[in-house]
Amino acid sequence: MQRSPEVPVPRAQRWGAVVWPSFFSAGVATMVFFALFDPVELARLAWVGIEIDRKTGYTIGFFLFWALTFSACAFTSILTRTRHPGDDAADRGTR
Amino acid sequence: MAAPAPTPAADAGGDLYRAPPKVYPREVDGRFQRLRNLAVFVLLGLFYLVPWMNWTGRQAVLFDLPARKFHILGLTFFPQDFFYLSWLLILAGLALFFFTALAGRLWCGYACPQTVWTEVFLRIERWIEGDRLRRMKLDAAPWSAEKLARKGAKQAIWITFALWTGFTFVGFFTPVRDLGPRALSLSLGPWETFWSLFYAFATYGNAGYLREQVCKYMCPYARFQGAMFDPATLIIAYDPARGEPRGSRRKGSDYRAAGLGDCIDCTLCVQACPTGIDIRDGLQIECIACGACIDACDSVMEKVGYPRGLIRYATEESLAGRRTRILRPRVVIYGLLLFGGFAGFAWSVSHRVPLLVDVVRDRNALYRVVEDGAIENAYTLKIMNKGDAARRYRVTLDDADEIRFAGGGESLEVEVAPGEVLAVPVTLRAPAGEVTGRHEVEFEVEAVDDEDVKYEAESRFFGPMP
Repeated sequence: MQRSPEVPVPRAQRWGAVVWPSFFSAGVATMVFFALFDPVELARLAWVGIEIDRKTGYTIGFFLFWALTFSACAFTSILTRTRHPGDDAADRGTR
Repeated sequence: MAAPAPTPAADAGGDLYRAPPKVYPREVDGRFQRLRNLAVFVLLGLFYLVPWMNWTGRQAVLFDLPARKFHILGLTFFPQDFFYLSWLLILAGLALFFFTALAGRLWCGYACPQTVWTEVFLRIERWIEGDRLRRMKLDAAPWSAEKLARKGAKQAIWITFALWTGFTFVGFFTPVRDLGPRALSLSLGPWETFWSLFYAFATYGNAGYLREQVCKYMCPYARFQGAMFDPATLIIAYDPARGEPRGSRRKGSDYRAAGLGDCIDCTLCVQACPTGIDIRDGLQIECIACGACIDACDSVMEKVGYPRGLIRYATEESLAGRRTRILRPRVVIYGLLLFGGFAGFAWSVSHRVPLLVDVVRDRNALYRVVEDGAIENAYTLKIMNKGDAARRYRVTLDDADEIRFAGGGESLEVEVAPGEVLAVPVTLRAPAGEVTGRHEVEFEVEAVDDEDVKYEAESRFFGPMP
């Protein structure tokens, strides 16, 4: 079977394809989540003796969501990485 | 399987990993550039001015996250109004379908924040560093006092503008008239500082450096726009039937006799393109439909005395010489849905009742038998005042036959602070032997000062099984 030549993807594109979709979905998730749940109430239920204000809650929430979505996007990016013909390092999985 | 033979792509692999070449868009003037200028002016004008506008003594648009309230003009929205936000998002999606089916990436060319801010950053760059050729020369030149001065001035303006943008962004979430003086005296709170800088940095990076790469590599819209296109969609297109074969010619020569088309191959359309593509190769995912190439080509066509429109808004069908109907069923249906959606939204918002009531039955007991054999059910009424002022409400029972408030009386009155949820414990009672099994009851909550502000909430009353 003849493999079609695969064009490597520029690094900026790889990063962009991970950063932007994960940022966007984290934003949407944050909006929906905090429309339903008040961070102050959540903190009161979850941690005894730690009080946070809402701004802190929203910010922590957003970056938690972003960390999650970023990891998922990054894994997908790594797993679907194009193998370049003749690129031994990629074939061995060491790069 | 045998190892595949090295291909040209593999040989050039190292090169392709390098950053793509910088695009120096050439400045153009024309109809579409003027439209774009107008869009930039209006949209950014709104962005920078709206936080400073007041409405009856309060910031007109304020997404007060710490208080979990959104103020938009005279209306106040609470998390319980999330429904409206989802409705708006659905309408936004529908609008994208409609406009894309009609005329391609209008959003990208005129309204996307990425495009709009890039336009401003480019304008600053042009102002300080000069036109396309001078910018290219300046970048290629070794560092000198002039280069340092120009680059330094550009960075200073860029950074100032980005910081102002970040500040304005935070001003949508924190009262900006209070934020302004605090920003000037450098006494913002930690999260205000953080988000100002975060947004400023994102603006600076995206509009100053990433630019067209955001559209090419990050934006999903470019990839799925094809699903919304059809042969009757208006796209920016080069007319190859008229333009080819392209080539340079002497002014006034009979180029048709020489076998040439209308394209004089001046490459101005390529130089003007902010994403650095050649529109003459056909529609490409990189094209953000800004129309810069149309303006560039039209000005050239005028200069050489050919008719305008070698590059123009055209449909695939019309380019193939067939008749096109722009107003096709798809566009009409999207349009009607969009119009209906907006009308419904407007009606719903203007008829929104600033009151929300929820009835929770006592979970511990279905019913309780009290001293003289009467039956009692307990409830908690959650009354939310979605208005801007404290209000008194009257709670009555509707259509409840023998069931009454346990305390006696036909109604009870409560006062609820603005934006608060008041939990009101209520006990209902039915005389002995009157009520068996399950009964529907309806609580009617009505503002004392305005009978239009009314909410009916249903629940059940249980008695012993007959």
